Amino acid sequence: MLSALDQSAFSTWLLSSNSIWAYPTVLTLHTFGMMVLVGAALMIDLRLLGFGRGIPLSSLERLFRVMWGAFWLNLVTGTMLFIADASKRATQPLFLIKLLLVASGIVTIVLIRRRIFDGTKEPMVISGAAKRLAVTSLLVWCAAVTAGRLLAYVG
Amino acid sequence: MILGLGLLLLSFIRKNDHLKKVSLEVLFLIALATLPVYVSGQAAAETLKGQSGVSADAIMAHNDSALASFIMMEITGFFAWLVLWRMRRIGWPTTGLTYTVLVLSVLTVAAVARAANIGGDIRHPEISGGQYAGLFGQSSGTPLISAAAIKDFVLQHPWVWPTCETLHFIGMSLMFGVLMIVNLRLVGWLRGMSFASVHRLLPFGLMGFGINFITGMFFFIAASEQYTQNVAFHYKIILLMLAGVNYLVLTVYDEAWALPASAEAPLSGRLLGASALVLSIGVMYFGRMLPFIGNAF
Repeated sequence: MLSALDQSAFSTWLLSSNSIWAYPTVLTLHTFGMMVLVGAALMIDLRLLGFGRGIPLSSLERLFRVMWGAFWLNLVTGTMLFIADASKRATQPLFLIKLLLVASGIVTIVLIRRRIFDGTKEPMVISGAAKRLAVTSLLVWCAAVTAGRLLAYVG
Repeated sequence: MILGLGLLLLSFIRKNDHLKKVSLEVLFLIALATLPVYVSGQAAAETLKGQSGVSADAIMAHNDSALASFIMMEITGFFAWLVLWRMRRIGWPTTGLTYTVLVLSVLTVAAVARAANIGGDIRHPEISGGQYAGLFGQSSGTPLISAAAIKDFVLQHPWVWPTCETLHFIGMSLMFGVLMIVNLRLVGWLRGMSFASVHRLLPFGLMGFGINFITGMFFFIAASEQYTQNVAFHYKIILLMLAGVNYLVLTVYDEAWALPASAEAPLSGRLLGASALVLSIGVMYFGRMLPFIGNAF
């Protein structure tokens, strides 16, 4: 199954095409999605931690849409990059750790949205639990970026 | 640089805050312009090496002193930006920080003078008789900072490059997060926040840039020939310059500062916001494409 993916016409095209539209473009789109998703998450985390208190939480709601858009972009481009190198990636611990970290990051974002951005009222103070969630989110996203970037260098 | 320092000194003598602001803006812009100057200097050094009538020692010494002045200039530019940011928020320049900029400017001028002095020796070793005693009275054997040592450090430890790459991506995300909020607010896609409230986040953007400047310098010093001849790198630097000017305008932007939460930015603000987004995505694009465009590595 994995080696079938490796040898698929798509994988061959993505890896060995000299076209700038193959591997370089997919990789760049993946980087763009990461920058948007993680950048927006970091901003929401910083706001919850008390930076930019003047920004109403409700005005940041739209960022969740941006984050989901970036997430889907990276799911698609990430799948393409995975197909190109399936049997190597599937058995690579760092790759599995990265997937786990990304999933955890998404969970923190969903929790922040549900618990803090409930759309009813603007909280006057950010609770300790919300701040802990923000710190977790911040650390998990940085770890996810680290794991993803190191994939290019480790095993 | 002398111009920026002169203006700043004059603003102190005249006790003129407006002049102080202009001089800080000039210093920030000079710090930006120093980036292509340093990068092209490295390219020139690669071309000159091995030519006859050129002192290799002098090139190396000039390179190191140029690196030291470049770093000094960037620190000065960073503090100048910080004063401008504070000034926009509270209405006047903070004295302590402004004096810091003044002292840093003087040190930078001294460092640049030293670099220029050594630079002259590249073609004219006869003037100093081969001794690179600069303003600080140091011989060429003990540079303030050694590009060769940094290069060795990066290349001899296999963990350094990947670590810098990782930090480079985190810094990029931090920077883009700030740019996204501030500029989507200006464009009008994010609503319900005053410009002053998002202006608060600007130092995080500069922090992200700082991380990327330092890690980027490690890459550049360790493998400069990979970048100096790469057209994608040239585009990246050009876009970075424009994005830097854009960031300065955002920082001191008077029309947008007064914008209440519900108000739409004027046309100039919307254009500024849109161009900042395009420029920063462009910087990322050419950075990521470095290994694929031009002399691919």
